[in-house]
Amino acid sequence: MKGTYLGEFEELVLLTVASLANEAYAVIVKKEVEKNADRKVNISAIHSSLYRLEDKGFLSSEFGGATQKRGGKQKRFFKVTSAGFATLQQSKDLKQQLWKNIPQLSFSH
Amino acid sequence: MTRSSDHSTPPRLGTYLLKKIYREELFGEISGDLEEIYQEQVAEKGRFIASCNYLVDAVLSIRNYNLRRRKKITQNNSIAMFKNYFKITLRTISKNKVYSGLNIMGLALGIAAFIFILQYVTYENSYDKFHSDHENTYRVLYKVYRGEDLQIDCAAAVPRVGPFMKEKMPEVEAFARAFPVSGVMSTDNTKFREDRIHIADPDFLNIFDYSVVEGDKNNLLTEPNQVVLTSEMAEKYFGSTDVIGKTITFNSWLKLPLEITGVTENVPNNSHFKYDFLISYETLNNETLQDDGSSNSETAWGWYDFNTYVQLKDGADPKAFDEKFEEVLYEERGEIFEKYNFKAEFPLQPITDIHLYSNLLQESEPEEQGDGDAVFFLSIIAFFILVIAWINYINLSTARAMERAKEVGIRKTMGAYKKQLVYQFLSEALLLNFFALIIGLLIVVLGIRYFNQLTNSLLSTDFLVSTEFWLTAIGVFFAGVALSGLYPAFVLSSFKPVAVLKGKLQGQKAGKGLRRSLVTFQFAASVTLIAGTLIVYQQLQHMNTVDLGFDMTNTLVIKGPQSLESDSIYQTKLQTFKSQMLNIPGVDQITASSNVPGDEIFWTNGIRKWEDPDSQNNTIYIAGIDHDYFPTFDIKMVAGRNYDKSFTTDTGAVILNKAAVKLLGYESPAEAVNQKVRFWNNPKTIIGVVDDYQQMSAKSEVAPIVLPLVKAPSGFFTLSLTTDNYQQVLNQAQQTFTVFFPRDPYDYFFIDEFFNRQYANERTFSRVFTLFAIFGVVVACLGLFGLSSFTALQRTKEIGIRKALGASLRGIVMLLSKEFIILIAISNLIAWPIIYLVMEQWLDNFATRISMPIWVFLFAGAMVMITALITVGYKTFRTAQSNPVKALRYE
Repeated sequence: MKGTYLGEFEELVLLTVASLANEAYAVIVKKEVEKNADRKVNISAIHSSLYRLEDKGFLSSEFGGATQKRGGKQKRFFKVTSAGFATLQQSKDLKQQLWKNIPQLSFSH
Repeated sequence: MTRSSDHSTPPRLGTYLLKKIYREELFGEISGDLEEIYQEQVAEKGRFIASCNYLVDAVLSIRNYNLRRRKKITQNNSIAMFKNYFKITLRTISKNKVYSGLNIMGLALGIAAFIFILQYVTYENSYDKFHSDHENTYRVLYKVYRGEDLQIDCAAAVPRVGPFMKEKMPEVEAFARAFPVSGVMSTDNTKFREDRIHIADPDFLNIFDYSVVEGDKNNLLTEPNQVVLTSEMAEKYFGSTDVIGKTITFNSWLKLPLEITGVTENVPNNSHFKYDFLISYETLNNETLQDDGSSNSETAWGWYDFNTYVQLKDGADPKAFDEKFEEVLYEERGEIFEKYNFKAEFPLQPITDIHLYSNLLQESEPEEQGDGDAVFFLSIIAFFILVIAWINYINLSTARAMERAKEVGIRKTMGAYKKQLVYQFLSEALLLNFFALIIGLLIVVLGIRYFNQLTNSLLSTDFLVSTEFWLTAIGVFFAGVALSGLYPAFVLSSFKPVAVLKGKLQGQKAGKGLRRSLVTFQFAASVTLIAGTLIVYQQLQHMNTVDLGFDMTNTLVIKGPQSLESDSIYQTKLQTFKSQMLNIPGVDQITASSNVPGDEIFWTNGIRKWEDPDSQNNTIYIAGIDHDYFPTFDIKMVAGRNYDKSFTTDTGAVILNKAAVKLLGYESPAEAVNQKVRFWNNPKTIIGVVDDYQQMSAKSEVAPIVLPLVKAPSGFFTLSLTTDNYQQVLNQAQQTFTVFFPRDPYDYFFIDEFFNRQYANERTFSRVFTLFAIFGVVVACLGLFGLSSFTALQRTKEIGIRKALGASLRGIVMLLSKEFIILIAISNLIAWPIIYLVMEQWLDNFATRISMPIWVFLFAGAMVMITALITVGYKTFRTAQSNPVKALRYE
């Protein structure tokens, strides 16, 4: 189904949110992704993924505190839903399965 | 609220952008995120970089415009519907590739033709508009009346009138005269014959904006013996434009070294006045100095060779000026006018009118003069072609109504408003017109080179960057969408859904009457274009082949020497030169003369019967000739005899042409022979009258000419040849010429080419006309092809049944073609009177014109009929030939 499909970048974001437990909001997610994946990411891409993942039901969110640094605007904290975890698990299983299928021969090179 | 000093706010533009991009609910949190990043960067990298990044982030956020907006979009479904319309349009196009292709190609050709003509017309209208003060600049014309009779209607005025206007008329800001001369320009190592030399006033370069590239702009042409030349000439003679202070020698009736004081850009092509050299006017004043210290070139009131331009003060009215000047002039010249029974006028002509609306004696560039009527005609043709293309669109779309009827029915059942259906079909027209516009532009860009070659014009693709052009293009585009889209849109959208879905189509009738009248109109326009082209062509042929009264074939003309020694030396030289030339094999006869046919005569004087009073004086053109002029050109004597070497008294004799005999008031040529006239203030006996040969083109009436015997004419040497081996004659003639006149360049031309260059403009016009006639017919046929094949398709079942019942192939083809044959017959009947009226008027512009050729009407009609029948026939024949079983299984 189109709605449950997980893009590469989306998976990255979803995993990052999962790894951040309850602290995940856009700016932190951006920094984490940049740090772990070692690539430059624009904030708008993060926003786009976060809100889409929420629309797909993989993330849930609630408002958190505002700081002066943010011009007094609230943060939106994201959490991975059970559906989100399930999809991540599925994706991981699929990949593992595929890895297993690779003939051992090719490793000897 | 306190604000710490290190706290800065992000650029407002970015925040504004975010506000536009994100929905209200998202804006707070997201702009908060961006601001947080901004503040961190301010601390790390400084405010400038932080601001830049903030802006970049904001701009990149545009990608999130759709974020959580979907619900809103469903409320406004017109955008989605338009998307759907375009999708359906693309599908219809690809479903019926042939019809859509015809439709788009027709429109594209129409648009391309329109753009071509538009460019051509714009160029023709652009003449002399590059002068910054062109609105206040006028040319002074010269008109001489005897009673009511306009005797001289000339573009060049007399030398006195410019200064006189400046003295007496406060409206005149500045004036400038330009006196055309030709001669040989020479430097130490080069010499060329130059025809575009003008002797001009210093203000000439102030009134006109020919930009000066070398020299002091405010101090040109002020002293005698100075010259200004174009950069092309500087390159030609000196190999560079750094020529200030150098000397160039002018050889003609005067031989003068001239100091170069300035170089200007080459004269733009769209200038009515073209020069290569400008010699200072004081030079001429020195040459025409008289005993009393005045110069003829300042005081003469009768020497009309001076292109005179005046610049009026802002807001001065030329009409009022003309009236006022008439009175001022009368005060000065009234006495003379009374005494000699004539009246001169010097009306002003706006310089921007010269190229298209002036056809006077002594135009600066007579071959290049445009024709305002022709340009106007072309604009109409452009418009017609466009209309034909739009009609195609209307025809094809309404004809296809049946196919679309089901779609319309279903849309209506699903709740579409009529308005929405109108939008749908309009957006379809928009898309198709847009494709056509693109293809049309492509045709223009790719075809402009060929167009230029064909029409001898100098269009470039520069117009693609002009705002005016795009405004016109967009205007035409939307006019096309509206005109071609509206009618089909309303026809198609007004189908009744129940009837349509039941399969009861009243569509067969929908727009049929209109379609018929549109086809009729298209073909009437095509017939008009074809017949018009043929008539223009016939007239040109006629002018080329009309009996000009002299023999153009195998006639070579060598330009005479300009750097002459004394008259007597030249006179003796000439005799030996002529006999040596005659020794060249292939040379039959040779004559020396001041003019040849096709060369405008500038030499005039007064003539009258010996017994007549002063007031009966007439102005007549003079061409000086020798004994061999008439035999060489094979010009017929209608009365009397040619000059004869055995009659020494022939120096007191003259020969006239028939027009001159009429001017002088003799009953017949025979009566004029042996009469005495006063010419050059001496009594002269008319010994012969020649037929009215065409001195100038057959466009104009033959002017009265007197052909006196001149001792040593030096304008041209004309050789009539008996051989086709021109190269050999040319080489040998060159050798002889160089021996006799070593200081002159050897220039030659053939008289037929030289004479026919006068028709260059008409030829160009006829080519343009032909090209667009073809365009028009092709576009009309594209439409007809689409329409007829569609009709055939619709009647497939009918044809199947007819065939099954035993109809013959011929009968079916006739059945299908009948309608179009009738329509084309009607369009012929409409077109013929229009062609007759318009072309009759056009032909009246020519002195020798053809009578309206009736066969052209029939031919044009037949041609359109045949083209149409082939177009229609192709599809009908195939339909008629097809197996009836197939036809009946159809659907």
